Amino acid sequence: MSVLEARSLVKTIGTGRALRTLLDGVSLSVGPGELVAVLGRSGSGKSTLLHLLGGLDHPDAGQISVAGEELTGRGRRRLPAIRMRHIGFVFQQFHLIDELTGAENVLLPTRLPGAPAGGARRAAELIERLGLEPVTAHRPHELSGGEQQRFALARALVNGPELILADEPTGSLDVENGDAVLGLLRDLPRRAVVIVTHEPDTAAIADRVLRLAGGQLLADGRGP
Amino acid sequence: MSAPRSALALALEGLRARRRRAVLSGLGIAVAAATLSVSVVIGYGLGTGFHRATAAAGLPDVIVRFDPQAAPRVAARIAALPDVARYALRLEVTNVGIGARGHQRGDAVAEVLDAPGTHQGYAVLSGHDLGDRGSDVLVEQGLASAWGLALGDPFYVDGLGPQRVVGFAEGPDDVGYPLGKPRFYLSRPAIDAQLGAQADPRVDLAEIWLRNPAYLSEVLVQARATSFGLHDIRFATRSGLRILIDQAAGIVIDLLVALSLIALMTAGVMLAVSARAEVQRRLGAIGVRRAVGATRAYLTVAHALEATLVALPAASLGVLLGGLATVAPAGRLETMLNEPAPRWALAGPLLLAWLAAVLIPSAGAAWPAWRAAGRPVARLLRGADVASSGAGATTRGGVPGSSPRLRGGLVALGARMVAARRARLAVTIATLGLSAAFVLLLLALASELSSLETDPGALGKRYALTAALPPSAAARVRRIPGVLAAAPRYEVQGADSFDLGETIDVIAYPGDHTTFEAPALVSGRRLRGGREAEVGAGLATALGLTEGSTLALALADGSELRLRVAGVVSSLDDDGRVAYIPASALLGPEPAAPSAIAVVLAPGADVSTVLAALTRLGAAPTPVSTAVGRGVPLVDVLRTILRAIAIVDGLVCLYALVQACALTVQERRPAVAVMRAGGGGVGAIVRLLAGAALAIVTPAAVIGVLLERGVLGPALSHLAESYATLPLGAGPAEILAVLAGLALVAAVAVVSVALDAAREPVIRGLAT
Ligand SMILES: Nc1ncnc2c1ncn2[C@@H]1O[C@H](COP(=O)(O)OP(=O)(O)OP(=O)(O)O)[C@@H](O)[C@H]1O
Ligand SMILES: [Mg+2]
Repeated sequence: MSVLEARSLVKTIGTGRALRTLLDGVSLSVGPGELVAVLGRSGSGKSTLLHLLGGLDHPDAGQISVAGEELTGRGRRRLPAIRMRHIGFVFQQFHLIDELTGAENVLLPTRLPGAPAGGARRAAELIERLGLEPVTAHRPHELSGGEQQRFALARALVNGPELILADEPTGSLDVENGDAVLGLLRDLPRRAVVIVTHEPDTAAIADRVLRLAGGQLLADGRGP
Repeated sequence: MSAPRSALALALEGLRARRRRAVLSGLGIAVAAATLSVSVVIGYGLGTGFHRATAAAGLPDVIVRFDPQAAPRVAARIAALPDVARYALRLEVTNVGIGARGHQRGDAVAEVLDAPGTHQGYAVLSGHDLGDRGSDVLVEQGLASAWGLALGDPFYVDGLGPQRVVGFAEGPDDVGYPLGKPRFYLSRPAIDAQLGAQADPRVDLAEIWLRNPAYLSEVLVQARATSFGLHDIRFATRSGLRILIDQAAGIVIDLLVALSLIALMTAGVMLAVSARAEVQRRLGAIGVRRAVGATRAYLTVAHALEATLVALPAASLGVLLGGLATVAPAGRLETMLNEPAPRWALAGPLLLAWLAAVLIPSAGAAWPAWRAAGRPVARLLRGADVASSGAGATTRGGVPGSSPRLRGGLVALGARMVAARRARLAVTIATLGLSAAFVLLLLALASELSSLETDPGALGKRYALTAALPPSAAARVRRIPGVLAAAPRYEVQGADSFDLGETIDVIAYPGDHTTFEAPALVSGRRLRGGREAEVGAGLATALGLTEGSTLALALADGSELRLRVAGVVSSLDDDGRVAYIPASALLGPEPAAPSAIAVVLAPGADVSTVLAALTRLGAAPTPVSTAVGRGVPLVDVLRTILRAIAIVDGLVCLYALVQACALTVQERRPAVAVMRAGGGGVGAIVRLLAGAALAIVTPAAVIGVLLERGVLGPALSHLAESYATLPLGAGPAEILAVLAGLALVAAVAVVSVALDAAREPVIRGLAT
């Protein structure tokens, strides 16, 4: 059974003459342990697609289910709970919270109301596995870009989601750090990962590469 | 497009983009403007009331009261005085029975004018003045309002029969009904025309206007010297009257002025801080505009315009609402003080308040914009010091390898987030602390006012009853259950030996009089020796007494007592013309001085059982009435006003907290969005903001309580001490009430901002 199942997503933006159909019948299925890369030019709607898949935005038509839970048609109250248990986000700009140390940033999702138990233990494991132990007590501005992104990744994983959504996770990193982060995403066991990016190099590590263009999501011809 | 037009367009665009914030700032400005206009209406109205009344009524420079005398005799004495421009004579008849519109009273004061004319020391507010014929009365405005009298109404006067109301008047020489006795004016020539001329028309009051009021003291000296033959003379001067009347309203005026200043400061600072934060967030946009050639002045004007566009309607609304809410109670208060309402004279001060409410926010927005636009464009484009708050913070805790922890969770995070903006945190805490202190003070004052109404002790009288029993009965009275103390209280009329015109109310107790009567000390100390006296402030002023000087008391039988003045005390009785002396000193020359037993009740004692026991002893007990006893309506109005201020103050608190929470959410949008993307709902945002609010409210509450108990309360008590003993330190009940209020205000702010933040799409917060 697939972790992520999206069928015939339609998303339009703007109104009147400025109306544009950004996604026009996009379907996508990602299974456990699979890493899918979505390539596309800037402005093609990659971030928009990712937001829909993560339940941060609503499609105009189509259905999305994550780990067997239907996202579409859900009230505003239920969505956060689904995101908490099943979805982890990694952003291009990391978005670590200034006031918190790296480790505290990782712990933050475990302290949200309704978070699953055992968060502190998982946080410690993740920090160790991502090699962040020497800098746990550093504040974000005292961390390198790669370290910041690794903390952000740990934060996305700490509540044990089945689906990881990463929006240009290497966009703010140099090649070396970027590769390290991609390697980590690559090695997540049993998890479904969707990476959107405009860099073909990033897509090289994916099990499957898809291309978003003209509102359609198509298999990339050059894929492995 | 011209530069001003395009600056306006830019301002409008800014407003459209930030509608919610504009509404929030608008509310803040409206609250501040309302506070200001409340203070202006009450403070200006009362502060200038006596002056207005004096001008309207043509109040005399000196009012002289004496035993009833033939009018020609008094006229001759006045004619002998220097510098008199004109005078008017009247007979003041007390305890007159009156009735109108179904109301009646037996204690009215009839002012019978000897020769009606234009200068009588009152102002006719509507209708016409008295003439030489007809059965006309002029009724004091306060009485007319209270009884709902209309011009032409019949007005029954005992001994004269039905009269007709021809006008309403205000005479600022006394407070009006219901603070004072009901008063009305009659014309003696008209009464004579009705009932036949009296053989020997008498008067007991003269109003004197001087050509040059600067010679007042010389004229007073002359008047005292030539008063021989007139008995029981009392002089009242304009400034003396003013002091008496101001005492009633002074405490409120001081409070209001202080409050409005603080509200203005608070509003100004809050607005300036939020304007600064707004500019900080828009450094990038400012930088881009600078990069494409916008001038510094242009950007400053655009920001100022944006603030002005918000401030104009908000300030107008606030000034209007504040004014409308207070004009009526202020007017009632003024009528009670026999002062005319300021009406259009308020327009100027209100306009100033409105201008301040518009200009301060505009300047608050222009200044940071001017400073920001002056920075190098490159720095602006990088967002410059937006993220500077985290820099330089030291790394704490978290030994590598140990299990990581997040102490306090979201609540602690919220607290850390507000603490990151130190200057704003300090301002918000100060605002809230001050407001809390003020509300505490108002609550303490309100409860003290209630006790003024019912508790004679507040005005220095600690005994609740007097019983007409001989001094020897004191021991028996003391044994009655519920009686804490009892002693004979001697009271005689004396005069100053040098200046026989000054009558003095002499009060004497055996032993410590402060058990029974402890009027507040203005200067000096309590009397100790057998040859010492405490004198009232009114007497001290009239005779030029200070501590250490000698009071020479002429008693009724002609004997004289010489006492050293130990201290000056405040007393409202007899205009402060009182002297407290030891009973031993009084009983020497006057062994049969009249007395009654003063009774202090034990706390919680049942008055009726004590009264019954006293009656069984053969006494006719009388409860003590106080100067404020008849001031119940005044206290009511004051309480209404205090309540209004407390509400406005609460709004200031709410505004400060909402502003702080909203700014935190605004500035930390990505953080909030990340939290929400990770599954945080409204509950998570509420926790975060609760932490922020706690970080503000907790120190503010501590500061508020300390400030009130340590500074504001004592300061106001000191201010009031010339006429009442008011312990204004807030008690536990008031502190609890304020804490509960703060908690409520914080909860409202947190929940409303959290709901608002949860409504925003998560992705908008992520798009930085
Ligand atoms: N809320 C919105 N309102 C209007 N237009 C929007 C909105 N969100 C996105 N767009 C537009 O939709 C298009 C796609 O945006 P999106 O962020 O999904 O692109 P992207 O593929 O992620 O691009 P990039 O690689 O630059 O990040 C863009 O043209 C963008 O301007
Ligand atoms: Mg994108």
